[in-house]
Amino acid sequence: MTNSIEEFETHSKVIFVIGSNTTACHPLIASRIIKAKENGAKLIVADPRNIQLSRYADFTVHQRLGSDVALLNGMMHIIIKNNWHDQAYIEQRCEDFEQLKETLHTYTPTMVEAITGIAKKDITKMAELYATQSPAALLYAMGITQHTTGVDNVKSCCNLAMLCGNVGVAGGGVNPLRGQNNVQGACDMGGLPNVFTGYQPVADPKAREKFSQAWDCELSDTPGMTITDMISAIEEGKIKGLYVIGENPKLSDPDKNHLDNAFKKLDFLITEDIFLTESAQIADVVFASASLGEREGTFTNTERRCMLTRKAVEPVGNALPDWEIISRFSTALGYEMNYDCPSDIFNEMTSLTKSYQGMSYQRLGIDGLQWPCPTPEHPGTPYLHKNIFTRGKGKFHAIDYKDPAELTCEDYPMLMTTGRMFAHFHTGTMTRVSTSLDSEQKTGYVEINPKDARRLNINTDDMILLTSRRGKIEAPARITDSVPPNNIFLPIHFGENPTNVLTSSTAFDPIAKIPEFKVGAVKIEKLIA
Amino acid sequence: MNITKQVEQLLKQGDVDIFLAYRELDGHLIPHGYTLDNLEDLENLKVSQHRYSLEKVATHLTEKKPNLKIGIVARDCNQRALNLLYTWNQLSPENITPLMVNCCPSQTRNHSDCTYLEPKKTGTFKQKKGIDFNENPREFMDNNDNGQRFSRWMYEFSKCIKCYGCRNICPVCFCTDCSLENPDLVEPGALPPEIPIFHLVRATHMAGRCIDCGLCEDACPAEIPLRFLYREMNRIVSDVFDYTPGAGLEKSPFTIIGNEVTLEPRPMDA
Amino acid sequence: MNCKFVPSVCSYCGTGCGVLFEVIDGKINSTLPLKSHPVNQGKLCIKGWSLHEYINSYMRLKAPLVKENGHFQKATWDEAITHAAKNFNRIKETHGPDAIGVLVSAKVTNEENYLAQKLARAAIGTNNVDHCARL
Repeated sequence: MTNSIEEFETHSKVIFVIGSNTTACHPLIASRIIKAKENGAKLIVADPRNIQLSRYADFTVHQRLGSDVALLNGMMHIIIKNNWHDQAYIEQRCEDFEQLKETLHTYTPTMVEAITGIAKKDITKMAELYATQSPAALLYAMGITQHTTGVDNVKSCCNLAMLCGNVGVAGGGVNPLRGQNNVQGACDMGGLPNVFTGYQPVADPKAREKFSQAWDCELSDTPGMTITDMISAIEEGKIKGLYVIGENPKLSDPDKNHLDNAFKKLDFLITEDIFLTESAQIADVVFASASLGEREGTFTNTERRCMLTRKAVEPVGNALPDWEIISRFSTALGYEMNYDCPSDIFNEMTSLTKSYQGMSYQRLGIDGLQWPCPTPEHPGTPYLHKNIFTRGKGKFHAIDYKDPAELTCEDYPMLMTTGRMFAHFHTGTMTRVSTSLDSEQKTGYVEINPKDARRLNINTDDMILLTSRRGKIEAPARITDSVPPNNIFLPIHFGENPTNVLTSSTAFDPIAKIPEFKVGAVKIEKLIA
Repeated sequence: MNITKQVEQLLKQGDVDIFLAYRELDGHLIPHGYTLDNLEDLENLKVSQHRYSLEKVATHLTEKKPNLKIGIVARDCNQRALNLLYTWNQLSPENITPLMVNCCPSQTRNHSDCTYLEPKKTGTFKQKKGIDFNENPREFMDNNDNGQRFSRWMYEFSKCIKCYGCRNICPVCFCTDCSLENPDLVEPGALPPEIPIFHLVRATHMAGRCIDCGLCEDACPAEIPLRFLYREMNRIVSDVFDYTPGAGLEKSPFTIIGNEVTLEPRPMDA
Repeated sequence: MNCKFVPSVCSYCGTGCGVLFEVIDGKINSTLPLKSHPVNQGKLCIKGWSLHEYINSYMRLKAPLVKENGHFQKATWDEAITHAAKNFNRIKETHGPDAIGVLVSAKVTNEENYLAQKLARAAIGTNNVDHCARL
């Protein structure tokens, strides 16, 4: 997030939520949005599904699955036409506005209505609501990113925010809501194929020299493979060994059948987890990890706030904290790692990472600190790009709408989208063993619009067979108008109804390599018991 | 004698096995159990501005060790909760030693329990919709017709994210099987939870139970005016039975229905 | 009997709500919201309130496992780590460091992610490091 969670409540005049079922997936951020709304901020919700947040939005639209670029371009078209954009901000702080303007020219309300299914007057109203009050915060989640056009969607969000001068101000910004407690931290720590900590490129000789010296070893200058590429490389026999820490790719990655075949080709698989997950079951060695509360360490949340978690109890059985396992494994591989405690590791990391350099366990306390925090006196940074963008000028990207990889056809006449439900989390590893959460929702289901249910003679809890180009799964029906006609929704948490049997591993964003989990074509049939 | 000295004495004389109060950690006040094993912690003992349900912690400790002697730093609300837990056999008065503190005097009562009695600011949207924290339930009922009241509450309930925080934080919610999780009453798995039944089930259970501590409203991510709702329930209980939950050790009028409603102390979680 | 409250941060979504673990005699008994936390201000969602349940689950892995003839056997840490290291070093010697991939985690701490990518880059010698941010 460019901005802070608190600002939605304290500063934002407009909150625009697109592609995020916030009350279910980020409930305590939704809580701030509701409070802001009750204090007078305007709330706009754009989501293909009829989500809870739209019940109290000032304005709600349901764009067709995967039509976000068209919707955002359409809004910008209207904003420019009505002169609602912030010309001074654009001139002072941004570049390439003319190219954007030219592209937007064709995105007339008529054209956008045809692509998104949203009425012309609604697009206009939405644009007016967003652009005529500031600051306006834009919030999104996987509804924007898990598309073949994920990067385009994100850039379009940035275009809109910059167009109205909403980046670099308190209460504004472009705010991706991170789905995992430490996905921000994993990126910041260099858990990516092309960068060291703090996004220092492995291809940059200066960065490599710095880490090479600190770690006392030679370092490869070739960026590595992303998870999506690794799966293909495993299948091609290029990757033989895989070390998976705290993840369950067998359920979280697209196209399960393809994935299962790939995993069989691995020469050696190590998983490190707190449970014997679907992925751990096929491993050659499983390392048993200590969980939250059983070890010390820091997490970085979606607003870049690095926070300390403390040890409350001893690890279960012989489980060890991951930092100890990794250190011992590294030493056994022939590269010695010796740390007494997590704060030693933290201090080594901060000495190599400018944005974390001013942090220490003592300073973090309970409240934590938001990066960048470059010096021990620095108070942390609630919002980014104040006065100047990190890269200098804010760059507009002229982007054209592209269809999702799969549209409906005769064989697969319905569109499927996937996501989370409020009581469970990701692949269900942690939530399905939790009694309270399990009693809330015991199994997977498929949400179907009442119109489709009537047409196909489907009743609540009837077993439905879902078929995509990749495979078939069964799930009980839940009839609800929270999905539009001809669309279905599947929660991703349930191994017995694995949505990743249906999703495609070849439909992914060319840059971010993120799979298109949010749109896929399927066929549904009622199973006769 | 200051409270730290008092606690030290209680522990050293064996009057209590554990004393529940607060300690300061990195600028935050958090609950803490003081025992003879951690006497050095006493210098950090605090009485918190933030309220936690220490009496609920006491019930957790009692489940594990029924005769444990527990001291508690208590305000009015904690004392009311303790009284209620005594009358429902969840704690025994002979095992509990409350040390009363006058933490935050308010204008409404001279020995008051909390800041929550001070008028809370209500958002403009909420005011427009009609539910105003500043209004007392009786005026709210008098000033609005059924239709208005209904639509206001429906709006409030529609915001619920089903966290169960109102129940989880409640010092007087101690049932082993909770009606909110009974699929015959409330359909599981839906967000918001079934309107209005989820909230009305809880509200009914708060009648004759709620000690008006306000922790539920404080814990509600959707800021549903729960305290307001339960106060109205208890206004009826007060009118009909002349009973105020937690005011004393008087048995609840709801026990007249039969002994089976007087629940045995049982572990809270399976 | 001993009872303490230990501050932590919820390990579900990316919001980062402050929690308190109620620890009674060395076991986490319940989870509470930390009232004064800057992120969640004393409120939690259903998952946050149930945070201790997965930690206390009887399904937790309690020892490292090594697969022999298709079946897992409990192992000591030395056995598991030596076995894993031997096989990774064999792959590295035969096929080069880029024949190994490391998936770090959005669930483990910054310190552990730092070490995991350091292990991939320094101990193994590959930049094949990624995690589930995309999923």
